[in-house]
Amino acid sequence: MLARIANNLFWMGRYIERAEHTARFTNVNYFSSLDAPNKLSRDRQFVLQSIYEMVGEEDEKDEVLIEQDVLYNVALNPDKHYSILKCICYARENANSSRDLISNDCYETINKFYHSVMNYSKDYFVTRGLHDFTSHIMHQSTILKGKIRGTMLHDEVYALIKLGINIERATQVTRILQIKYDAAEQVTSSKPKHLKKSYEWTTLLKCVDSFDINRRVYRKPPTQSTVIEFLMLNPNSPRTVLYCLSQIKEHITMLDPLKAHEKNTALFLIGKMMCEYKYKTVEDIEDNVKEFIAHTFSSLIKLSEKLEDEYFYH
Amino acid sequence: MKPTNFKHLFSSYDGNENLFDEIFDKKQNVRKVYQKLFDIYNDQSIEDFINLNNKAKTSFFNQGITFQVYNDEKAQEKIFPFDLFPRIIDGEEWATIEKGVIQRCKALNAFIWDIYHDKNIIKAGLVPMELISSSANYLRQMDNLDPVGGIYNHISGTDLIKHSDGKYYVLEDNIRCPSGVSYVIYNRNALKRSLFGVFNHYDIHTVTDYSENLLEIMESVKPKGVDVPTCVVITPGVFNSAYFEHSYLAKTMGIELVEGRDLVVENDFLYMKTISGLKKVDVVYRRIDDGFLDPLEFKKDSAIGVPGLFSAYKNGNVTLVNAPGTGVADDKAIYTYMPEIIKFYLGEKPILNNVHTYHCSRPTDLKFVLENIHNLVVKPVDEAGGYGISIGNRLTKAEIADVKKVILQNPRKYIAQPIMSLSVHATYIEDCQSFEQRHVDLRTFTLLGQDKEFVLKGGLTRVALKKGNLIVNSSQGGGSKDTWVLKK
Amino acid sequence: MFNYTIKYTTENTYENPVFESYWQFMVTPETNSSQDLISSSYSVSDDNSIEKSINGYNFETTRIHTKKPFNNLTFEAIFKLNKSEISPIEPNPEFTVEDDYKAIEVLDFKVDFEAFLNATELTALPKVAVKLFEFETSKHILDNVKQLNTWVYDLITFKAGETTEDMLLETVLEKKEGVSSDFVHLFCAIARVNKVPARYVSGYLHQGDGFFGDSEMYAWAEVYIPNLGWIGFDPGNNILADHNHIKVAHGRDYKDCPPLKQIMYAYGEQESKFAVEVNYEQ
Repeated sequence: MLARIANNLFWMGRYIERAEHTARFTNVNYFSSLDAPNKLSRDRQFVLQSIYEMVGEEDEKDEVLIEQDVLYNVALNPDKHYSILKCICYARENANSSRDLISNDCYETINKFYHSVMNYSKDYFVTRGLHDFTSHIMHQSTILKGKIRGTMLHDEVYALIKLGINIERATQVTRILQIKYDAAEQVTSSKPKHLKKSYEWTTLLKCVDSFDINRRVYRKPPTQSTVIEFLMLNPNSPRTVLYCLSQIKEHITMLDPLKAHEKNTALFLIGKMMCEYKYKTVEDIEDNVKEFIAHTFSSLIKLSEKLEDEYFYH
Repeated sequence: MKPTNFKHLFSSYDGNENLFDEIFDKKQNVRKVYQKLFDIYNDQSIEDFINLNNKAKTSFFNQGITFQVYNDEKAQEKIFPFDLFPRIIDGEEWATIEKGVIQRCKALNAFIWDIYHDKNIIKAGLVPMELISSSANYLRQMDNLDPVGGIYNHISGTDLIKHSDGKYYVLEDNIRCPSGVSYVIYNRNALKRSLFGVFNHYDIHTVTDYSENLLEIMESVKPKGVDVPTCVVITPGVFNSAYFEHSYLAKTMGIELVEGRDLVVENDFLYMKTISGLKKVDVVYRRIDDGFLDPLEFKKDSAIGVPGLFSAYKNGNVTLVNAPGTGVADDKAIYTYMPEIIKFYLGEKPILNNVHTYHCSRPTDLKFVLENIHNLVVKPVDEAGGYGISIGNRLTKAEIADVKKVILQNPRKYIAQPIMSLSVHATYIEDCQSFEQRHVDLRTFTLLGQDKEFVLKGGLTRVALKKGNLIVNSSQGGGSKDTWVLKK
Repeated sequence: MFNYTIKYTTENTYENPVFESYWQFMVTPETNSSQDLISSSYSVSDDNSIEKSINGYNFETTRIHTKKPFNNLTFEAIFKLNKSEISPIEPNPEFTVEDDYKAIEVLDFKVDFEAFLNATELTALPKVAVKLFEFETSKHILDNVKQLNTWVYDLITFKAGETTEDMLLETVLEKKEGVSSDFVHLFCAIARVNKVPARYVSGYLHQGDGFFGDSEMYAWAEVYIPNLGWIGFDPGNNILADHNHIKVAHGRDYKDCPPLKQIMYAYGEQESKFAVEVNYEQ
C-alpha cells in the first residue's frame, strides 16, 4: 500500500468522524441550552463561544458573536477549514485519491454525501435548518461507516480508515470533555460544590451520544465522576477513550503484526497506553481530572505523529 | 392499453436523406439488425424514457463519473452525456474492423521502431525526414533504444467513421495516451441497469475483459530477469480530467494507482513508497505525457513526473507503457502516409481506408487547399481533442481568409481532408424530448504485447450532440453511446 | 601525452532549508580517441549518496537526491585523464571539393545526421541572418568551416558575467557579445544552414596558454566533415580544438548538455558558486 494513499485513507476516516462530532456538538449544545436550568448555560454567547472552541476558531474573546455567522461558519462556510462542509470535502478528496481501493458502494455513498452537503441551502440552514442539517450529517456518516464496515475487505485499507476514525473519535471525546469540564467550572464558579452535579455533564454525554447508555450503566443522573469514569474508562461503550484505544490497537496490529514488541513503534505505544487506561480507576484521576484530560490529549497527538512517521512518510 | 396521448419516441424523428443513417435506410425503413431494438424503444412512452434517462444520469453522477467545468465562480461537476440508444455493429463488419486496426497498430509499431533505429522508410524516400525532425513528439533520447518485445504502442485508440458510402474510414491513430475505455464499460453498465430487457434479444460480446487483457499485456513486457512483475498505473493526479479512468483501470487490474510523488528512482531502479518502505516497480502504465515523465530528462518544471525515470527505463529496469516517443507516429501528417507505411513494413494492402489527405507542406497540395478550403476540413497536425479544426463549408468568407492566413504562416502545421460525412445515429435530445439524427464516430481500443494482441470488442461511439456538428470530442460537448458488437 | 587533473566544485547556500532536491551533474570527461579517463572521484556534503547514471543521450551523469533539510550543499569532483596531442587537420587528399558537397546532399547522410542539421531554439537564426555567412563551394568544407570559425570569433566579443547560456541568437547578434556557448550556437547555426552537421560540445578548457575561457565549464563545437569525420572547432578562441580541450558531452545545443540540472523547492535568498580548475603535467 502506498504511503501517501495510506495517509489519505487515515485522514478520510478522521474527517468523516470529525464532521459527525462537530455536527452533534453543535446540535446538542444549541438545542439543550435553550431550556437549560442555569442562566449562564442558557446564555447565547456562552453557547456560541463553546461551539467555536470545539472547532478551534480563535475569535476575539470580547467580540459579540452573531448566531447566524457562527452556525454558518461551523457548518457550511467553504472558507473555514473546520466547517463540516470542508470536512466532507476533504473526506471526499481523500476518497477520490484512493477510489481504486475503496468499494464502489462506499465511494458512491461519500460522493452522494458530499453533493448533498454542497447543495444544502445556506439561507435555509441558518434560519430553520440547523436540526435538519446536523441530523443529516450524523445520519449520513453513520451510514457511511456502515458501508465501510459492511462492503469492504477487512484488510489494511479498512484498518487505516478505522484507525483514522478511532483516533479522531478519541481525540474529539477528550476535547469535548475538556471543553465541558471548563464550562461546568465556569457555570458553577460561584458555587463550586455544584460542579460535580452540573447540568453540563448531561450536555456532555449528549454531545457524544451517550446519555442513555450512561443512564443504563449508572441508573442515576450523571455526575462528574460517573461521566469521567464512563467516557474515559468504560471498555464497552463505543464512544469512550478506552474503547477507541482498543480499536486503534486492533487496527494498527492489522497493519503490521510483527512490530508488537519493537520499542518505540506506534503499536508498542498504543499497547502501553491501552494497558494504562485499562487498569486505571476513577479514584486515580478524580482529583486531577484536568491534568488527566490534558495527558490523554497529548498522548493521542504523540500516537498520531508516530503513525505518520512510521507509515505515511518515507 | 396505451394512454391516448402516447407519444412514440421516434414520432418526431426527422431523417435527412443526405446522411448515412445507421438505423434507417434510404426509404426510412428500419435496418434489420436494429428492428428489435427499435420496436422495444418505440414501445416506450416518452415519459418513461425521460425517467430512465434521468436515472441513468443520476447513477453516473453518484458514482462520480464526472469531469470538472470551471465557470465564473466555482468548479462544477458534470457527467459525460450518455445516450441510452446503443449502436450495433454486425459481426462480419466487426471482423474487418478488428483485422484492420491490428494491421494498422502493427505497422505503426514497426514504423516507430524504424524511426528510432535505421530510419529505412525515410532512406527509401517514402516519408520525408522533415516530417519526423519537425515533430514535437520525436524524442531523440529514444534513438537506438530497444523496448522490451520491440513494442512501443501497447495501447492504441483508433478513431473510425462510417462515411456516406457505408464504408469505414480511419480518421486518427491515437497512440500516446488514448483515453475513453472506461466509458465503454460504464456505458454498458448504465445501459444494463436501465434497459436490461433489450439484452435478451441480442447476442453481444462483453467489454469487461479489457482490464485483464491490459494487465496481461503489461506483464508480457516485463523487464528481463523479473519473475512476477509489479505493475502500476501512474496518473497526473485527481485533478486530471481522466483521473476517473485511471483509477478505474488500476482498480479493475488490482494494481496500485500512483502519482509521481509516490515514486523514486535509486540506482536506475524504480520504487514506490509504501507503508512498509520502498517496493520495486517493474511495469508502468503511464497516463502522463512524454514531456512530463522525468524532469531530469525532459521538461524541468514537471512536478508530476519522477526524476531519473528515463534512465531507469533506458537501462531496461522498468517498462513504460506506451513507450516514450510513440507520439512521433500519432502526428496527423504521418497519418497520411499510412497506406505506404503498411505496405512498407507488412507488405500488405490497408484493410481500412484512409481519408485522402492534402499536405500543406507540399506546394501543389497547398495550392489546392487554398483554392478549395470551402470543401475541406483543415486540421493542425499536432493538436489533440478536436482543437484548431476548421470545417470549410461552415465558414464565412472572412473566416476562410483567416484560415488561409493561418495556413500560410506555417504550412507544415496543417493538413486538409475532404469533408467526410460521418454517419448519423438516433440520439435522444433532452431539449426536444425526442430522438434526432446526430453524427457519430467510433474509437476502438487495441492492445499489443509480446506475442499477444487484443481488440476490445465494442469501443466508444462518440456523438456530436450539437445538431449538424461533426466534432465528437468530449471536450467539445460530445456524448457517447454503448456499442454492441454482435457475435457471428 | 598530457596528464590532466580536473577539479569541479560547487557551493550552494540557501536562506531557508531545502527539504528535498535533485542534482544531476554532467561534468565527467568522456573517453574518446584523444582522451582517456583514468579515475574520477566525487564528494558531497552531509551524508548524501552519489549515484552514477547514463542519460538519454548516452553521457555519464552524477546524481544526488537529498532527503534531509539542508542550508548548504557542496559538491566536488576530481578527474584524472590522459590527453594526446591532436595533429593538424587537412582535407583528405583522396577526395575533391565536389565530393564534399555531393556527400552532404545524399539522403542517407541527411537522415543519419538529422539531429545536427536542424535548428533548435538556441541555434535558430533570425530570418535576416540566414545568409550572413555562405559557404564558398569552390573550397573544401573544412576550409569554409575554418573561415566560419574566424568569422564568428571576429564578430562576437567575449564577455563573461551576467548572461546565461540559453540566450537566443537574435539577442547575441544584436549585442555582438557573449560567452562561449553563444559563439558555439552561432557557429553551429551557420554550419547547419549550410547543410553541414554541427554539434555543441561541453567540456573543460585548459587556460594555461592565454586563451579566453572562464572558470566554469566551456563550450566549443564539432563539425562533421565528409571524408574526415567529426572535427572540433573553438570559435571562442579562433582555433581548432586541441589538447587543451577536454570533452564531457555533446548535443544539439546547450540544453542537451548543461553541466547541472537541479530540481528543488527553495525560497528566499540563495547563492551558488562554481569553480573549475584544469591542470596538466607533460
